[in-house]
Amino acid sequence: MYAQAFFVAVFGLAAIGFGVVVFRTSSMVRSALALLFSQTAVGCMFLAMQTEFLGVLQIMMMATEMSIMAIFMVMFMMDPGGLGGMEMTHQKRFSISAGVVAGGAAIAVALLADWGPVTVEAPDAEMQTRALGIELLGRSMLIFETAGITILTAMIAATAVAIPVYTLSGNGGTETKETSE
Amino acid sequence: MNFVIVLLALLGSVWLLAVVEGWTTTGRLRPAAPLLSGLAHLGRESIVPRTPDRVFFETAPVLLLIVAVLGAAVLPLAPTLVIADLATGALFINAALAYVLVALIMAGWGPNGAYAMIGGWRFLGQLIAYAMLIVMPITAVAMRAESLVTTVIVGSQDGLWNIVYQPLGFVLFFIAAMALAFRAPFDLPTAPGELGGGVDAEYTGVRLGVLRLARLTLVITLASATTVFYLGGWHGPLLPPWAWSLIKTLAVAVSMLLAGRYLPRIREADLMRWCWTLGIPLALLNIIVVGLLVLVVP
Repeated sequence: MYAQAFFVAVFGLAAIGFGVVVFRTSSMVRSALALLFSQTAVGCMFLAMQTEFLGVLQIMMMATEMSIMAIFMVMFMMDPGGLGGMEMTHQKRFSISAGVVAGGAAIAVALLADWGPVTVEAPDAEMQTRALGIELLGRSMLIFETAGITILTAMIAATAVAIPVYTLSGNGGTETKETSE
Repeated sequence: MNFVIVLLALLGSVWLLAVVEGWTTTGRLRPAAPLLSGLAHLGRESIVPRTPDRVFFETAPVLLLIVAVLGAAVLPLAPTLVIADLATGALFINAALAYVLVALIMAGWGPNGAYAMIGGWRFLGQLIAYAMLIVMPITAVAMRAESLVTTVIVGSQDGLWNIVYQPLGFVLFFIAAMALAFRAPFDLPTAPGELGGGVDAEYTGVRLGVLRLARLTLVITLASATTVFYLGGWHGPLLPPWAWSLIKTLAVAVSMLLAGRYLPRIREADLMRWCWTLGIPLALLNIIVVGLLVLVVP
């Protein structure tokens, strides 16, 4: 029990530490990967709390998601390597107060909410996976399917907007890019 | 104890693969060559490029090695010979191998070199191509076993291996595994002759040694995964279970090596197009066929 609490605390502190690095570095890739490892630490917290499936899933998903975010940050930011010493932050006072309020609200909920009786014995990992599968394919199916279809639609729409329009011109079937907007 | 045995088996397989690789490229069978080459790496100067991202530069080779070993940790050599028989084993191996991408992005960004950086980001594109073809065939494998536990998955193939039960899944997984291990013809992140080594380009000495060891370990891990998911794992007549696991793993690893030697390097855009327009529909078909078989055949 104490060992479990210890590891939850260690990974929690690691998650916060990497979270701080996200904002302390000027390198976009470092920032993205720090966020990645912060989320990985959250995944490790899940593992320490005996929720194996969620932990492994979190660790897996974040690796690819944050890496893809890294390349977009490199593409769109003016100083991706952070070597130019550019100031990348803005609206500091607003963001600090928003952060403090949100953090305070999260701590208040954690402390004040009635969490019900504590489970003494967590069911084994196989039972949890099974229970999660039944939940996803039963009661929560509509919610997840709706979310999935919405994300897919957004992805297809974004891709369709991003692809330049090619048309077959009359001269021998060579492809030309349509420039008119 | 299991940890030591699996690690030694992994090291032994890596050594054998390195010997075979040397044999196919130079035509000479030199069993001591990988060891000598490793020692030579230790003796050479390990240069750090100018203005590197030092944390990434140092972490990348070690991270690649760690994730390859972590992936192997859930793959059984025999019914009880597995480091961690997790309830989510088939998912865990995906989670571990997702960090191959992170390691390569670090190795690409870290040294502050153009070729390395292009190599690192290229692998991100490669991931977009192969990732679904790793996950979806494993889904079909888990469907047949009705479990994510790797030992149960091997148990489900008693009598009929998955390579026969779902050959389509095997072909897709084998190709995607080669792309994940960035072996030829999918060696876009390193691309010798075109990117001058890519992510390997700026590494020298002991760091290059670790990087090469990690790459070979990754190939063995993926070959072992192919064995567990499709080739019946430890099942086989006469020989003890661990021997069958090792023989099959090495056979898959060598076949990956040989397939790479006789095929030209594929273009990034072509890989993406084929994976998405052909690979993913076939993977979906595989899931449907396996689903029907699981429901219909008792």
